[in-house]
Amino acid sequence: MKLSLSWIKDYVSLPDDADLKKLAYDLTMDTVEVEDVEYLGKRFEKMVVGVIEAVNPHPNADKLRVCTVDIGDGESKEIVCGGINLAAGMKVAVSVPGAIVRWHGEGEPVEIKKSKLRGVESYGMICASEEIGLGDLFPSKQEAEILDLSFLDVPAGTNIADALDLNDVLLEIDNKSMTNRPDLWGHYGIAREIAALYNLPMKKIEPVKIDAPSDFKVEIKDIDRCPRYIGVEMDGVSVKPSPFKMQSRIWRVGMRPINALVDITNYVMLATGNPTHAFDADNIEDHITVRRAEKAEKLLLLNGKELELCEDDLVIADGEGAVALAGVMGGAKDSILPKTTRVILEVANFESTGIRRTALRYDNRTEASSRYEKAVDPERCDQALALSVEFFKELYPELKITGYCDRYEKKLERAEIDVSLTWLAKRLGKNLTNDVIQAKLEKLGFDVKIDGDNMHVTAPTWRSTGDISIKDDVMEEVARMYGYDNFEATSFTTSFEGAINQKEISLVRNIKEYLAIRCGMQEIYTYPWMNDTFVNAVMQDTAGMLKLSTPPAPELSYLRSSLLPNMCEAVVKNERYFNEFSMFEEAQVFTDTDYTSPYDSTESLPKQRRNIAASVASATKDANTLFREVKGYLEYMPRYTHMEGFTFRKDVKPVWADNVVWQNIYVGDVKVGDLGLVAKKVTMDCGIKNLTVMVFEMDTTLLKPLISRTNRFTHLAEYPETDYDISMLFDSSATWEEINSIIAKKEAGPVKNASFVDEYRGKQIPAGKKSVTIRLTIGSKEKTLTSDEIENAANSVMKQLSKRMGAELRTQ
Amino acid sequence: MKDKIESILSEAKARIAAAADENELQKVRSEVIGKQGSLTLLLKELPKVDAAERPEMGKLLNLAKNEVTELIDSTRTELKLKASEVSPDFDCSVPGVMPMNGGLHPITQMCYDLNDAFRSMGFEVYQEDDITSEMYAFDKLNFPQNHPARESMDTYWLAGHDSGSTNEKLCLRPHLTGGSVRYMQTHKPPYRFVYPGRVYRNETTDAHHERAFFQYEALIVDKDITFTSGKVLIKSILSKVFGTDVPVRMRSGFFPFVEPGFEIDMQCQVCGGKGCSVCKHVGWIEVMPGGSPHPNVLRAAGLDPDEYTGFYVNIGLDRLVMMRYGVDDVRLFHSADLRFLKQFR
Repeated sequence: MKLSLSWIKDYVSLPDDADLKKLAYDLTMDTVEVEDVEYLGKRFEKMVVGVIEAVNPHPNADKLRVCTVDIGDGESKEIVCGGINLAAGMKVAVSVPGAIVRWHGEGEPVEIKKSKLRGVESYGMICASEEIGLGDLFPSKQEAEILDLSFLDVPAGTNIADALDLNDVLLEIDNKSMTNRPDLWGHYGIAREIAALYNLPMKKIEPVKIDAPSDFKVEIKDIDRCPRYIGVEMDGVSVKPSPFKMQSRIWRVGMRPINALVDITNYVMLATGNPTHAFDADNIEDHITVRRAEKAEKLLLLNGKELELCEDDLVIADGEGAVALAGVMGGAKDSILPKTTRVILEVANFESTGIRRTALRYDNRTEASSRYEKAVDPERCDQALALSVEFFKELYPELKITGYCDRYEKKLERAEIDVSLTWLAKRLGKNLTNDVIQAKLEKLGFDVKIDGDNMHVTAPTWRSTGDISIKDDVMEEVARMYGYDNFEATSFTTSFEGAINQKEISLVRNIKEYLAIRCGMQEIYTYPWMNDTFVNAVMQDTAGMLKLSTPPAPELSYLRSSLLPNMCEAVVKNERYFNEFSMFEEAQVFTDTDYTSPYDSTESLPKQRRNIAASVASATKDANTLFREVKGYLEYMPRYTHMEGFTFRKDVKPVWADNVVWQNIYVGDVKVGDLGLVAKKVTMDCGIKNLTVMVFEMDTTLLKPLISRTNRFTHLAEYPETDYDISMLFDSSATWEEINSIIAKKEAGPVKNASFVDEYRGKQIPAGKKSVTIRLTIGSKEKTLTSDEIENAANSVMKQLSKRMGAELRTQ
Repeated sequence: MKDKIESILSEAKARIAAAADENELQKVRSEVIGKQGSLTLLLKELPKVDAAERPEMGKLLNLAKNEVTELIDSTRTELKLKASEVSPDFDCSVPGVMPMNGGLHPITQMCYDLNDAFRSMGFEVYQEDDITSEMYAFDKLNFPQNHPARESMDTYWLAGHDSGSTNEKLCLRPHLTGGSVRYMQTHKPPYRFVYPGRVYRNETTDAHHERAFFQYEALIVDKDITFTSGKVLIKSILSKVFGTDVPVRMRSGFFPFVEPGFEIDMQCQVCGGKGCSVCKHVGWIEVMPGGSPHPNVLRAAGLDPDEYTGFYVNIGLDRLVMMRYGVDDVRLFHSADLRFLKQFR
């Protein structure tokens, strides 16, 4: 919200030499955030009023003129200009070299320099209103129209800001910082706050008494939604421009002057924060009624939008139907037209949340609705009315008030709070005297009665619509008026009860660091919702998934039950730039199952696990290489991260996996996840072009961190152990798991361990067979084995493998 | 003969001195003291020499031979010391071969930095689920029944769980604070914990607005805490993140779940508080909201607000990371774009 300092000064006696930097700082620290302080006059530096002395044709251009202009420095200047309304004697705005303008009101600001235009020297520029940022204040009626300032009674050379009385200061307030302070929406409210901060006298807007006996009436059918409605019927108005000062102020704070009737209502809103509205009285049938809309009732708004209303909407209606959307926007039927001579002025109070619902429902937020939805207090209608009537009378001396009705049906009650002074001192961490506390609160309009330890506080009306309701609110008022900067930082004490030891939290961090740093994967984050394309491609089925009722886009409605659809989407995105990469993500996954109430018995939450998923994608490596790489990451993970080890089994094929290349990951007897090659059909459906993609996904909540580093030391072998490689031919379908388990059964003997070296299928190997190279570690605790003993041990392993699996020694 | 010996010797010395590698030394060796070497041949001629001169010549020859042998050996050692296994043109300026280069997401990095700082101050790390009920997202946090944030325009409600009473309505959490109430309900005071997590808002996205973003909440609740203790907390966090002491200020701010509430600003790290385009010429940058938990929030957690109070801050991690690295589009964090993510190590 923009505020004009000169306007604020209408209501508070701020000294002319007030330090504005300090004012902005104090408001920011204690009340609302001042984002910017702008000296309005600076926009018009090097722009002066010039008087055209002569207009001559340009020797080289038909559309240009060469003007002789007096800019008040004693020497007439030649200025080239293409304006269509140039005339001798006309007063114009001249930008002299150094001024910043926008060509034709568009594009980047440029600095005016002395220059030649088509061969003729030109000293600056004669400006159109939009070129010097005055387009809204002086709208031009046609193309290339120069701003005519002949109405000004100032000599040539007067600075434009001085000439138009624009030496104001504009404060830009962050709207977010005042959502809880409806009293501040308007110059009057800010003035009241400044008066309190600096202990300055306030120039109050006193309520006005109107006496207009007639049968004019207003009816309120829903007093909760409309606590107060004042209608004033007036005769003798007309559509004409408002005074320049009013237009100028409206324009300064960012609105557009329209005509006197509309400008008065906007001006009053900007001054008091209470929106007002003027209806053309000749178009109101019978009397005004404030009521809920009927179902499917139609209303054509001022902006041309045709609405079909619902029963939650509040409307202003006449005998025929709805004429305005209450607190949001007027209707087309009763809007001010050039022929308007009689108006009904509305000064009303509407309940905040209903206004907000309606404005959002029709995507029609306005200056009025954005104020009402902050919860304006109904007492403020008094100031809005007084100010409105003052302007109507001033602008229309012939005006007659022909009807008046103030229905104040639901009185505002001032908030009353008891505060213990002991409690206050404790919370502030500072002892302030009763006098100081009382003075600070009274300045803000509170009534304060202190009786022993109890302070009874009554909030002013403008703070009683929810803003001030408990003693902590009062504490905040005292603290901010005292100044937050005046409280020293105090340290807090520790009570030590034991070291922080959160194994589950540390485990997940260890896994992430392991995957990132040890395995070279990049961590990614994706959204909790999935794209239907990837849901269908990867998950095949949406059963058991949760859905958003208002998703970011129609195809993004399913919440992820697995991290893999988004992982595959990430693979597609990165395939454009990389042909080999690996990624992982750790995040929450959801299913529409297993509802529990861990915190509150009336609440029921769906099962939510935390998964970690990884993908390794390559355009060059084959499935076998990738599988072993990824499985290696998993096999080594428990050692790095201190958790119970994994076993791998083939129990249930994941839907997305290739028919052959997959395993389930187990911790003990609990399945914690899957590992496998993404099936060709799935990668195709995802739009992955050339990559082979290996993935795994695990439920981290099922992983078991070790209590400590629990493995035991084993003595180093006293006698040498020998590695002995054997290569044997097995059926192609034989598994390492089986081979290893057969060798392991002979454990008591000298064969300590068997490890997989490699396997080979190919030219030298008969069809249906594969060669597996196994490394046996052979040794004894009692002695150094002879080469015969070693060979015997290896031979006995080979015999076992032949007997149990039909393996043959591979002959060279 | 004597002259011959001397000339062979001096030539050999010169050649050894000039030898650049083992091959050349071997060549000298075989040509001088090898089987057909010049000195060897002279030695063979010794019997023909005059008997009177023979012992002297013999001695000279042996001395010469020894000298050449020693010289070759010492030069060989010298050459070995100077030698390299590879060509002297080996270019050491070529870059190394990188190990596989992965990394944590910049948000995770920031989160872990903060976790480390808070753990050193005795804070626990807390984690909660993304889906919550309206009761915990709003009721328990003192949001009025008709607060705008409850509407679907701001919060992602779940289909089939988007109507009914507040304990039945489920949504993706719009902030973390509801989870803090859950922590307080299930733990005994005093509390000292941090709570990192992702939150969700139904908004239109642009370079500064996201639908999913990360918050980092820190809460301390005890009997004798005033809002001014918060200053210590905030300074500790920021000095950890930025590596230097950062001036902070607390100013009036409003959030339903705190009373009093603050906006917390830090001195602009770009201009040092003088004012620049980054801080919009005010010298301060808004970094987090904070305040004392609202009495209704403490009550919701089962505490007596007359006995307990505390301090809370909620840090927008995305914003802090953007400041740390100069990232200008918040949407990049969820892009999964490796060209972006690989920049943070």
